[in-house]
Parts: sequence; structure tokens; C-alpha cells
Amino acid sequence: MVSLNAVLLVSFLLFSIGVIGVLIRRNALVILMCVELMLNAANLNFIAFARHSGSVSGQSFALLVMGFAAAEVAVGLALVVALYRKRDTVQVDDINLLKG
Amino acid sequence: MEHLIETIGRNMFAIFGVMALCGAAFMVASRSAVHSVLGFLFAMLCIAGCFLSLEAEFLGMAQILVYAGGIVVLFLFVVMLVEMSKKTEKEVFQLQSRYAVLVVLAGAAVFVGVFRKVIFGAASPDALVLRPELAKGLNVAQQNAQAVSRGLFADYLLPFEILSVILLVALVGAVVLAKTERV
Repeated sequence: MVSLNAVLLVSFLLFSIGVIGVLIRRNALVILMCVELMLNAANLNFIAFARHSGSVSGQSFALLVMGFAAAEVAVGLALVVALYRKRDTVQVDDINLLKG
Repeated sequence: MEHLIETIGRNMFAIFGVMALCGAAFMVASRSAVHSVLGFLFAMLCIAGCFLSLEAEFLGMAQILVYAGGIVVLFLFVVMLVEMSKKTEKEVFQLQSRYAVLVVLAGAAVFVGVFRKVIFGAASPDALVLRPELAKGLNVAQQNAQAVSRGLFADYLLPFEILSVILLVALVGAVVLAKTERV
């Protein structure tokens, strides 16, 4: 039996790595991957609490989150491709159209 | 030898968790986007292993199918499409990286401070010991996929249907966004 605390610690560390990646990377693709990592950390929490409360509702919700992540990736990658066609870059620093 | 196998089996979650963390760190730190995708793939497979060790067999398999089979391939395609730029390689990390890492570390310190007793203290008692009536529900749902689908199609039917609409909208949106010629 895995202890709940161990799962919480791992999922917290995964989420922190995801946040760091979103904040420090310039490549839009890597930022999208970090967002996926954060969603997975949340999924891990769902499953841990489902395991420890003796109900599978958390697992059902994790499956929903997984589908949502797939939709998010599809739209995000389409946006990246469209951006690359328009501006010829995927570095988020070069996208400063809103800057006055 | 048997003792070793037994130890590994008991600590399966810790092993997969540490490996997932290493993959995630490699993903954030590597300079090449293809290496980042490989780190992402490794982390996702290890998280699937974590799911399996938490007795969520169906979700573990779904994780491998959805992420390793679908999302990673999609990412690789876009990396190959986009990273062929002739431009010189710019800086990989943001200017504010130092402050960002400091802020996240401060948040981590706050988390550890609040949950210090929970994480490093004695292991919390098993929920099944505290509430033995829950064990009955677990025994009824012997098969994981069966139990998950019962939750999905009986208790959470509305979120499931809303998700299907979201997926349809994302499909149409992705096609419209990525299409070249304007009609």
C-alpha cells in the first residue's frame, strides 16, 4: 500500500517542475509540454485520493481530465503552427504584438 | 534474489515517481526541443507506472495510449515542422528565470511549512482501517475498468457528454487554425 503522503509529495514536485518550465522556457512547445505535466500531477492526486477513500470517482474524473488535456494539446499545437506561419518563430519572446 | 524482487515490488511507486521527476527535469532543462519531447515521453510512461502501482490499471493503460501513442507523436510532428528554422539559436531561458525559480522555491517552502507534519510525520492511517464499510465498495468493484466506467456513465454522465462536445469543438478549432488558405 503506497502512502498518501508519498504520492502527494511526488505530485507536488511534478507540478513545481511544470510551473518552473512555464516560467523560464522561451519555446512555446516546451511550455505546452509543461502544462501537460501539471495536468498529470493533478491526475496523480485524483488517483491517490480515489485509492485512499475507497471510491473510484477520482479515477473517472482523471479520465475526464485526460480527454480535456488531449483537446488542449490539439488547439495549442494548431495555434503554434499558425503562429509559426505568420511570424516565423515559436519563441514566446518574439511575439510582442501587444507591446506598445 | 526473491527478497530483492519483493523490495522492488513494494517500492514500485517510489521508483517510478523518482524516474518521472528525472524525466520532467530533463524536459525542462534540455536545450533541444526533440530532447524535451523525449523527456516528456519518459515522464509520461513513468507516471503511467505510478498509476499502475496505485491500482488504477485502466488509467495506466489509457495514459500510455493517449500520451505515448497520441500526444507525444503530435508534439514530435510539430517540432519537426517548426524547428527547421534557419535562424540562429537564441537564448533558451527567459531573462527572469532566476526570479521565477526563486518564487517557485518560496512557494515550495510555504507548502512544506504548512504540510510539514503531513509529509514528514507518521504515515496517516489507512482509510480502510478507519472506515471499514468502504472496503465493501472496493470488493464489489473487483475489476477496475468496470468500476471506472460505472462512475463515468452513471454518476458523471453530464461531464462526460460536455467533454465530448469540448473535443468536437477542439477538433474543428484545430482544423480551422492550422488550415493554410483563407476561404
